[in-house]
Amino acid sequence: MPDLTLPSKMSALRSHLDDVVAIVEARAPYGAVLLSDQSGLQIQVDNREERVTELPRTAGTVITAFDGATLRETAIAGFERSTVEQGARDLVRDATFTDRRSIDPGPERRGDFTTPHNTLSARAKLDRCRDLQQRLTGLDPRIVNVRIDYREITERSAFRNRAADLAQHVERMHLFVIVIVAGPDGTRYDAVLKSAVGNWDALVPTDDELQAVVDHALALLSAERIEPGEYTIITSPGVSGTICHESFGHGVETDMFLKERARAVQYLDRVVASPLVNIYDDPSRAGGFGFYFFDDEGQLAAPTQIVENGLFRRGITDLYSATALNLRRSANGRRQDYTRKAYARMTNTFFAPGATPVEEMFAQVDHGIYLERWLSGMEDPQGWGIQVTCHYGHEIKHGKVTQRMFAPIGITGYVPDVLQTITAVGNDLVLEPGLCGKGHKETVVTSAGGPHLLLKARLG
Amino acid sequence: MLESIIDTLRARTDVQAWSVRHITTHSTQLYTVRSGVEAKRAVTDEQYAINILRHTSTAQGETTCGTSHITVLPGDDLAGAIDRAVMMASLVHNPLHSIPAPSALPDVPLADAELQANPSARLDELYGRLSAAVAKHAHVRMTAAELFGAEETIHLINSRGVDATQVATEVAIEWVLISRSGEGAQARQVESFVEMTRRRAAGLDIEGEVDRRAQYALDLLKAVDPPNHTGAVVLRGAVLANFFGGATLVADRSVFHLLGSGEAKYNNLSTWEIGQSVFRREVTADPLTLWANRQLPYGSYSSCFDDEGLPAQRVALIQDNRLTAFTASQRYADYLSVAPTGSFGNVEVAPGTQPAAALLSEPHVEIAAFSWFNPSPVTGDFACEIRLGYIVDNGQRTPFRGGLLVGNVLDALADVRYSAETGFYGDYFGPTMARFGQLTVADAK
Repeated sequence: MPDLTLPSKMSALRSHLDDVVAIVEARAPYGAVLLSDQSGLQIQVDNREERVTELPRTAGTVITAFDGATLRETAIAGFERSTVEQGARDLVRDATFTDRRSIDPGPERRGDFTTPHNTLSARAKLDRCRDLQQRLTGLDPRIVNVRIDYREITERSAFRNRAADLAQHVERMHLFVIVIVAGPDGTRYDAVLKSAVGNWDALVPTDDELQAVVDHALALLSAERIEPGEYTIITSPGVSGTICHESFGHGVETDMFLKERARAVQYLDRVVASPLVNIYDDPSRAGGFGFYFFDDEGQLAAPTQIVENGLFRRGITDLYSATALNLRRSANGRRQDYTRKAYARMTNTFFAPGATPVEEMFAQVDHGIYLERWLSGMEDPQGWGIQVTCHYGHEIKHGKVTQRMFAPIGITGYVPDVLQTITAVGNDLVLEPGLCGKGHKETVVTSAGGPHLLLKARLG
Repeated sequence: MLESIIDTLRARTDVQAWSVRHITTHSTQLYTVRSGVEAKRAVTDEQYAINILRHTSTAQGETTCGTSHITVLPGDDLAGAIDRAVMMASLVHNPLHSIPAPSALPDVPLADAELQANPSARLDELYGRLSAAVAKHAHVRMTAAELFGAEETIHLINSRGVDATQVATEVAIEWVLISRSGEGAQARQVESFVEMTRRRAAGLDIEGEVDRRAQYALDLLKAVDPPNHTGAVVLRGAVLANFFGGATLVADRSVFHLLGSGEAKYNNLSTWEIGQSVFRREVTADPLTLWANRQLPYGSYSSCFDDEGLPAQRVALIQDNRLTAFTASQRYADYLSVAPTGSFGNVEVAPGTQPAAALLSEPHVEIAAFSWFNPSPVTGDFACEIRLGYIVDNGQRTPFRGGLLVGNVLDALADVRYSAETGFYGDYFGPTMARFGQLTVADAK
């Protein structure tokens, strides 16, 4: 049995969750319980100060009762057995139940799962952050600060319904290296972000990556604004991933189908992208920042192919929308924390790699832009508009990346139009960590990525 | 448990200063879809947020300090948690700083008594108002709505004698309006999505917002491609608030939040200087005067005291284009030898002298909705997609969608006229309209 390091009260309550489910199902057609504890550590080192501190923690119990039409939930701080059992009784006491619709609890499934535990001490992690910071300080007189920001997020959860008894421990780590430079027009910065699941070594940027951060930060001091227009572009894996995330990530969350917010519902098995395009969401992808063993509704993690050779195949589901729309479940029912509802959410979402070597892709571009670093994106599942903001991009001239830099750069356009212009898909694949909201709230950790892509898009 | 925490902290000789916030939250949540109520949730949360400060020393014998934060839940191993906090603080060596001392706290209104009395009934009432308002518009239908009502009580105690309690409420609402025209291959469907957060239900103009958004949906059905435009651009209401970093459900830090903060100054991220213009070019229209206002009645980011216990202030951050103060926690106030202000709070902008109607001369472009207005807080640069805009010329108001608004927040504000009328949008109080002299809408074709 793996060591899940569940907090003692959570561990004690877990062994009584079948009683809680029984209290709910004595009246309701479906009941479930989720125990969730999210905690974390932050270490920050810069030229002027340091921090070692815990991230704000959330921990509590969600009791779910389906009344035949509505999911009724009580969320209670902590894991006190008597409080949780009373909460379950109160939840179903005054409710009315119908058999209008039923929820399938799924097949029998049991298991305890854990990612590798990070065994380094806080002091050792701090020392490594200091070493990294020292490597960059003083490389150029225009560098006014270098910040190393390390975070580890530990999620421990247990799920129980009448068919499932699951528990997991997932540790995610990410490391931001931010170089801040100053010039006559103010400050500029560049950053590299690395993530890993339980393995510190995967976090450490290479010397080339560190040098590139310094070079790009300095280049930003004299970056130009791009002339708005349509360009041939090559996207880095991070930018590819952001396009993927905002288009056929958010656009295929099936709770959006239920709300009539997703145009994709009309495009099932229809062409939405170049035949070179394959898109997946996969919570089981090892090393992905959105990795887990099961979702917050007890569905075991497995990949979903969303787009197959340019055809939209299926969306990603939460329990309610899958039930209401009679869709096959995928493991995408996620909560920001126990205080929030579960929605259909992405995990690790990416374009699958293709066959084109990246150098060959650049060789195909006579004049274009290499979009290198993404900043943010926003979904528009109904309008299929796309907004992806890139921190910067470089000019490509005669197949070579030049020193000419543009910043920031917005990508806009109509999603299928943009995806159908993809003419080459690189044979590489990188996933980058990020935070994903539903609109401006409901933040969960995800990753997005893919290979380099060659396409046309409107930039400004 | 609060007493146990305080007793434990007082007994620690290796902790020089501490604060504890006992935070309890009760919230009610209602989620609807077209077919009915999707979910109803009741949430209780209780936690103790503990900050400790301990003195450390460098290898050279210099006295320094470290701070750390932990969250303790009822029933947790308290002694173990505090040991962990002390261990983390002991690892770092920062310049010495203090924590806030007791001071008079302003009485800032933060709570909706009706929401506190019966949150579930209040949400049902709001949903009823929303449904009735939508029903008046035959061309739109509401396909989803979410309503949240929450009450949060914070009791803060620190080792210097601060002992204060505040109760605040929050009501958040979002909804989706769908409109459709045409049939078959000619069918066109559009949505208008709204998110609003206020301290009290009375601050939500649901009916007015539904009317506006229903019109937006209708206009989106007729929207043309974006223009190539460089010239006057008008923003109003929540869109203008968003330009200043307000009217957001997440406290995204704007250029003012970031570059006006003592923390950014101390860490060399901000090059702003007290007494100097915040603009990099000459101001050619209305001057900018801006406050970081935590005393705004029912402001989304108002408070009687902040997380450290610093009393709410209305800080004049920028006066006639010149920086007059940095916002600063006690730590950065000590480091920079400036007055502590506490957290930023809400944005307040001084109005202009002209009525809004005088800012609408033609031609101009008005932006009614962005996908997400998210300028870089470091540089102020932006390139943001337009969800709905209007080309206003020759007496015509033509809706368009798509394209990008491109520019820089600070450069844009160096050439802007503000309306004399003011409005409140949750975390923004200021002009209801602004006319920017020169911004670019890029259709990028």
